[in-house]
Amino acid sequence: MKSKISALMDSELDARELREPLSALGEDGEARETWRTYHLISDALRGGAILSANCAPRVAQRLAQEPALIAPLPSAIRPPERARWFVPSALAASVAAVALVGWLALAPQQGAGPAPAPLAQAPQAERAKEPARLPLTSAAQDYLIAHQAFSPRNSLQGMALYVRSVSDQAAPRKP
Amino acid sequence: MSRAAGALLLWAAAGLAQAQAQAAPDALDWLRRIYQATEKLSYSGTFVYQQGERTETSRITRRAAIGGGVERLEVLDGPPREVIRTRDEIRCYLPDSQTVKVDRRRDQRAFPALLPAQVSGLTEHYSITMDETARIAGYDCQAIVLAPRDELRYGYKLWADVQTGMLLKARAFNRAGETVEQFTFTQLEIGYVSRERLRPPAAARSWRVEQSAVAPANLAEAGWEVHADLPGFRKVVEIRRMLRDAQPADQVVFSDGLAAISVFIEPIAGRTEPPRIGLATMGAVNIYTREVANHLVTVVGEAPAASVQRMGNRVEFHRPQ
Repeated sequence: MKSKISALMDSELDARELREPLSALGEDGEARETWRTYHLISDALRGGAILSANCAPRVAQRLAQEPALIAPLPSAIRPPERARWFVPSALAASVAAVALVGWLALAPQQGAGPAPAPLAQAPQAERAKEPARLPLTSAAQDYLIAHQAFSPRNSLQGMALYVRSVSDQAAPRKP
Repeated sequence: MSRAAGALLLWAAAGLAQAQAQAAPDALDWLRRIYQATEKLSYSGTFVYQQGERTETSRITRRAAIGGGVERLEVLDGPPREVIRTRDEIRCYLPDSQTVKVDRRRDQRAFPALLPAQVSGLTEHYSITMDETARIAGYDCQAIVLAPRDELRYGYKLWADVQTGMLLKARAFNRAGETVEQFTFTQLEIGYVSRERLRPPAAARSWRVEQSAVAPANLAEAGWEVHADLPGFRKVVEIRRMLRDAQPADQVVFSDGLAAISVFIEPIAGRTEPPRIGLATMGAVNIYTREVANHLVTVVGEAPAASVQRMGNRVEFHRPQ
């Protein structure tokens, strides 16, 4: 079986020969362990990033901790299920990388400001998780109106703060 | 008492004394004066709102009256948007979409106001001091600085008219001291304002009206955990409301006494457009959107992006038992 798995990894099997190793991999056991070990060896030989020899159980555990969905998802606004599996991790990694570079570039300037000494620092990890930058939409206008009434700053500034809620920037654009 | 405990007590007492010294009573009195001027004066003036590269000029008119008064904001640049606030509701007139958005103010007590009695509580999170005097739009003003004691919130510098306490200029700044937004009056008349100047735009009679029905809500019962994970921010209200006509959304509001952060939770299922995940900014307001358990979580707050994001990332759903 080990040689078949090796051949499978090297794309040396034809459609008929694929069946046996694939069904062996479907059941947890020696075949799957071999598959993991061979991939680890292959990654090490190529000098690529090695996750860890046993990251699979931890990924499974994290998935189990995800909140359960309570309603079916509308398919119209969703990418297909398979794409969803891979996109977020790749996206998160690239966003984190960009954020890290951005943070390193900005760091000296932040230190130069006349700001008071911070007492509660946000952990560095949180800075690295910079989310995507979005333009304001007309939906944002609804949130800004709904939120503004609750700002204690209204007590000092009257309703001047509502300029943000009805800003042209957040309004739907005419074509 | 052990020596360590004694030292700790001394340290705490010294810290308290320092906090009190940093908030000069005069500066707190100025904040109370600004509040009273905002409540009691009638005025009409033009101000410039500045955020990032953008500036926008607006006219604000207020007619004071017992029990609240009426206030009108007219944006003078671009499409002529208006907002009229009475004691019971806020009406936003949006000519682009020919819509009137109505935000009903259900219960005055539910709204976190910065009342004069609560001003001294701000010193817990802001160091409040008097700054220079300056002349703005013809008024001699006293500047007051509210410098945040941590990086979870923005700082503010306020300029108030020496005679009346009316706020002439307000600047919000980030940790690096950079301005994130600024309001500056360029012209202001304090005194009598006639009722006619607060009439809603006549053209709006035929526009579509979007009501925001508001009701009390209990998110914990529905399985949601929304933490005030930012020191100093306390939960002030929890409601269910309508957004965009027929879309129900839950809203939880947190405040540190000056800045407010709202967390909106709504089902994704009823939305016509796909949710956009990420961060948007409007002056000192950051808006962070993420998806949790097939719901859209939108955090809207007058706080640095990291704070707004932190609040959003702590929202959890557990299926009710």
